[in-house]
Amino acid sequence: MSNFSLSSRSEQDITVMMPKGYINNIGAERLELTSEEFIGRGSNKLVVNFTDVKFINTIGLSIFLSMVQNMLESNSQLCFTNMKKDHREMFEMAGLIKHVRVFKDEKDAFNYLNGRS
Amino acid sequence: MSDSKFHLKRLMFSIASLVDLGQEATSSKDLSAKMKSALYVITGTFSVPRAALFVYHPKHRSLELLADKGYKESARQEIKLSVLPQHIKHFHVNEPHSIHEMVGSPFYERNDQVFSKLQTRLFIPLFAKDEFVGAIALGKKLGRESFRQNEKDVLRVVAHQMAITLYNVTLFGELTKKAAENKKLYESMRRIYHDTVQAFSAAIDAKDGYTKDHSYRVACYAVAIARELRWKKMDVEGLYVAGLLHDIGKIIIDTKVIKKGEGLTTLEKNEINKHPQISYDILSKIKFPWKNIERFVLHHHERLDGKGYPDALRSTELSDGEKILALVDAFDAMTTDRPYRDKLGLDEAFKEVLKCGGTQFDEQITSTFFNLLLRELSGEVKDPQILPHLRSNGTDPSAPNWAWVQASGSPSGSCRDKRENSDPLFSRFESRVEDSGKQPQGSWIRPLYVTRHK
Repeated sequence: MSNFSLSSRSEQDITVMMPKGYINNIGAERLELTSEEFIGRGSNKLVVNFTDVKFINTIGLSIFLSMVQNMLESNSQLCFTNMKKDHREMFEMAGLIKHVRVFKDEKDAFNYLNGRS
Repeated sequence: MSDSKFHLKRLMFSIASLVDLGQEATSSKDLSAKMKSALYVITGTFSVPRAALFVYHPKHRSLELLADKGYKESARQEIKLSVLPQHIKHFHVNEPHSIHEMVGSPFYERNDQVFSKLQTRLFIPLFAKDEFVGAIALGKKLGRESFRQNEKDVLRVVAHQMAITLYNVTLFGELTKKAAENKKLYESMRRIYHDTVQAFSAAIDAKDGYTKDHSYRVACYAVAIARELRWKKMDVEGLYVAGLLHDIGKIIIDTKVIKKGEGLTTLEKNEINKHPQISYDILSKIKFPWKNIERFVLHHHERLDGKGYPDALRSTELSDGEKILALVDAFDAMTTDRPYRDKLGLDEAFKEVLKCGGTQFDEQITSTFFNLLLRELSGEVKDPQILPHLRSNGTDPSAPNWAWVQASGSPSGSCRDKRENSDPLFSRFESRVEDSGKQPQGSWIRPLYVTRHK
């Protein structure tokens, strides 16, 4: 049984992705593929809400890395919200945090992406 | 975060990466998934969005893509590195090679377009047990930072682990392939064995038109009993072969004597009775993949009371296999026409076997055989093993008269000493049809009949 699931929704021109569970195996690559799909459809504002993420290992980190790389190459904007401290530290360690905007919650991310902050 | 705290965290992160890598290397995933996961650990650890893992094919003199991260499908199909033995000599074992330092080398020049397509920054040749097994090509880091020395140090450790993993999975893959080939070869040999055995069996039965398919039926009946007794598959197969070959010794006995039937001289009887020993002599020269075949064959005319031949063994000295063959051989003889008598009906054959329970035939094995046949008759058995042969042999099992079975008592009637019997081929089948008027009262078999056919 997979310990990972993903839901997503679009509000205005922003796509919100909500991964759930363990991001520690290739199965979580769905996150990267889904973000590619949205970018392909012209959506260039993405938010990843980490509320339900329980664990991330280096495989998970690799998946986020590719997401960030794709965002950079497509001039899209990527925001992370609701991150736990240890997840954030891991992303800092990998040098990934420099390329994304991290917000406390979705509301702050939406304000940023809509140019209100 | 202070510098010392950051370095400590970084160290912890590297250790965690190695743990992740170890977990992936020892996981039960298949080769491709395992190596892909391991590559993802590396890309995640070193912040490299694009990387490729290659396995070395000495025959093709190439490094072929095993797993990759971050490349488009179209680019992936063309990724292959050419590598010659003289190139390998220049590789440093599990050492990250900066691509800039490799420029100008024969290996780089041969593959420069591929390296360019991969945007390779580091090339790490993988060695395990002094054997070149593959390589990792890492693209640029996110944010275009260069690889730090401490990262290269960790990469060396990671490369070593990846090399061992690649070596093991490749070896395992080869062993699995070999095992599959061997299994195929074994199956093929097994088929040849069976075909040969079948051919011998047909030759044996062809000696006498009356015994056509006798060996085959004996083999099938024996298998049915062995399966009921929960024998192992290989042992069942062995008994099947023994059933097919049990009369092979008859091949060298004069056909006239075999077909003569009644009125055999003592000399002729003795000649006939040699066939188990001859069968044994023939089969003991063959190294079968199954156990005890020659022994089963040698003793298929033995009796529990020690009055059988050739060794006059008693019950405790006989194995189940020998007892099974003795029973089904006799049973098939009873239910088959002979030149000197008509075959018995099924209930008559049952009576005869019952009479000889405990003296000639093993009671438990007989019980198992009859029980199975009764279940086949009642339609309980999906794939009957006895009935079809009885039917093809002209025996009508549809309306047997079971009423004679008594509710209690012990087997009655007598199995005459086979040495006094005039039936040349089936001398262990001593009881005669005219004796069947007696009601055998074998309590060991009775419950089955009573419950199913009262």
